[in-house]
Amino acid sequence: MTGLSNMTERKNLWPWLLLTPLAVFLVVFFVVPLIDVAVMSFTEPRLTFANYERALTGTLYQKVFINTFLTAGFVTLCCLLVGYPLAYLMSVSSQRTAMLILLLVTMSFWTSFLVRTYAWMVLLGTNGPLVWLFQAVGITNPPQLLFTRFSSTLAMVHILAPYMIMNIYSVMRKIDPVLVRSAESLGARGGSLLRHVYLPLTAPGIANGCVLVFVICLGFYVTPVLLGSPREQMIAGLIGTQLDEFLAFGMGSALAMVLLVFTMVILTIYHRHFGLDKLWG
Amino acid sequence: MPKFTLDPASLMTPSRRTFLKATGLAAASTLAAPYVARAEDNVLYINTWGGPWDEAARAHLFDPFTAETGIKIQTLSPVSFAKLAQQVHTGTYEFDITTLGGGELVRANEAGIIEDLEAPYEGGLFENGVASHAFATVMAWRTDKIKEGPKTWAEFWDVERFPGGRSLQRYAARVLPIALLADGVEVKDLYPLDLDRAFESLDRIKDHVRVWWTAGAQSTQILRDGEVDLIGIWHGRYFEAEKAGAPVAMTWNQGEIDRAYWVVAKDTPNAENAKKFIAFATSAKPLAEFVMQADYGALNPASNEFIPADAAARMPTAPANYSQTFEQDMANFGGDPAEASERFEEWLAS
Repeated sequence: MTGLSNMTERKNLWPWLLLTPLAVFLVVFFVVPLIDVAVMSFTEPRLTFANYERALTGTLYQKVFINTFLTAGFVTLCCLLVGYPLAYLMSVSSQRTAMLILLLVTMSFWTSFLVRTYAWMVLLGTNGPLVWLFQAVGITNPPQLLFTRFSSTLAMVHILAPYMIMNIYSVMRKIDPVLVRSAESLGARGGSLLRHVYLPLTAPGIANGCVLVFVICLGFYVTPVLLGSPREQMIAGLIGTQLDEFLAFGMGSALAMVLLVFTMVILTIYHRHFGLDKLWG
Repeated sequence: MPKFTLDPASLMTPSRRTFLKATGLAAASTLAAPYVARAEDNVLYINTWGGPWDEAARAHLFDPFTAETGIKIQTLSPVSFAKLAQQVHTGTYEFDITTLGGGELVRANEAGIIEDLEAPYEGGLFENGVASHAFATVMAWRTDKIKEGPKTWAEFWDVERFPGGRSLQRYAARVLPIALLADGVEVKDLYPLDLDRAFESLDRIKDHVRVWWTAGAQSTQILRDGEVDLIGIWHGRYFEAEKAGAPVAMTWNQGEIDRAYWVVAKDTPNAENAKKFIAFATSAKPLAEFVMQADYGALNPASNEFIPADAAARMPTAPANYSQTFEQDMANFGGDPAEASERFEEWLAS
């Protein structure tokens, strides 16, 4: 009897033992520094709530926080509009074609972030191929493309779309084609088939993709600074300025904590509706 | 390998440290923490800008210093003001020496995060930093768009006489003095800055500034590719575009000089060797060779005798060019630079 209970106990402990190295790593390199950041946000330069007051009421910070969340939302929407049809195409293609598309989609992961950003500068620049194309078809005074909201959004969608596509594709691939066929045999066509059958079936993939893209986008910094106008400033850039230029560790920490809290709120809402565990497939 | 000076207090009683920190007495815990001597006594760690800066410094400052003294030099980059402050705060040293600009130097000295130094050459010391080299923010333009360029910042602001897209650095402490000159303020009356007047002047140019550049490489790229027709740019970055064959020209007139200072991290166990290095790096010949390769100007006047005329023509500190330029005065800025910067960012975002 004792031997048996020992064995089940060991079995239950085993996954936790496997998790220990990761847990220790996370505690040492993530949880502890994060607590330090939280403490600094209240104690630098002295014991105070002033950092939070400024972070939440200063016009610059309000504006940039709002812009950060709006940008992340808009980029997420664009990724969904681009990613959903592409993921669908992959799921109905042959294995080979699907792999080929996946390869093309993930290829952008192989180049550095900065290189991709500079590549957009070349493509959209005054002397770039796109403006040349405009002129070739007779548009002599083409619109300014670079250093606008358009260019920074385009680049962010390019960088983040793969997360969306892979999430949706992994769900679409698992959908039993029989379900769609039965729906058709029951008379569902076109829009109604999509709305009542296919969209609900792929909803977990959409939600996963959206949350991932949105959360990653909240932390974007280099792309909007290099490709957008100063009006597209995101909060990560301001945090960097606080730390590196002004040594205002308290203010930088407070801004980071506000961003963290907002992000946690969004993840909590997501968890209530879909369950965080589904994020990993 | 980064080196670590272990702080025994943090190893044995983490809770005491956390408590001290939480009560805002972090400074006390740092002071109370004795150092454990490190194994590598004969190595100096220097925080550098990386890339071409690092190469020039290695060739003309680091290697010759090692050859002369036997003290090895390890570098890490990029330059981080924040790290300098944090390592004094935590007692964990990643580097002994770094370079700072004027504004940062004033703040660092006020915050007590750098060692007291002595002038290795006459007039070389300011706020415990040793003046090493300088660069200038100058106006440059595309000669394919503008035949005869602007000579003053007021002309740079004149969008009717010089139509075309402009670019300036997204950096309040450099842009605000320029905006005042553009509004007709004399150099001698510039500091302390009249911030309200500076922002009014900026209002007039805002719609014509296509890019507020943030990285040196970016400024070269937009000038070289013709994204903008006029730009306020660091002189070294300008010469890069010229070297690449772009149709560009510049003037030294009203160029804005930034100085770079060597500083030693407060309480580093390597302070003695660090001071030796700084004296070497700011001595006439090594400094002259370094600035020639890295496209700076030497701040030790004795270096000028080692700089040939053609190289001097490309330096803001050469007497003929220097007389046309003006210097930043961060000790007399006219307000808190951090607040000015916040106001500038707010102005940009609106």
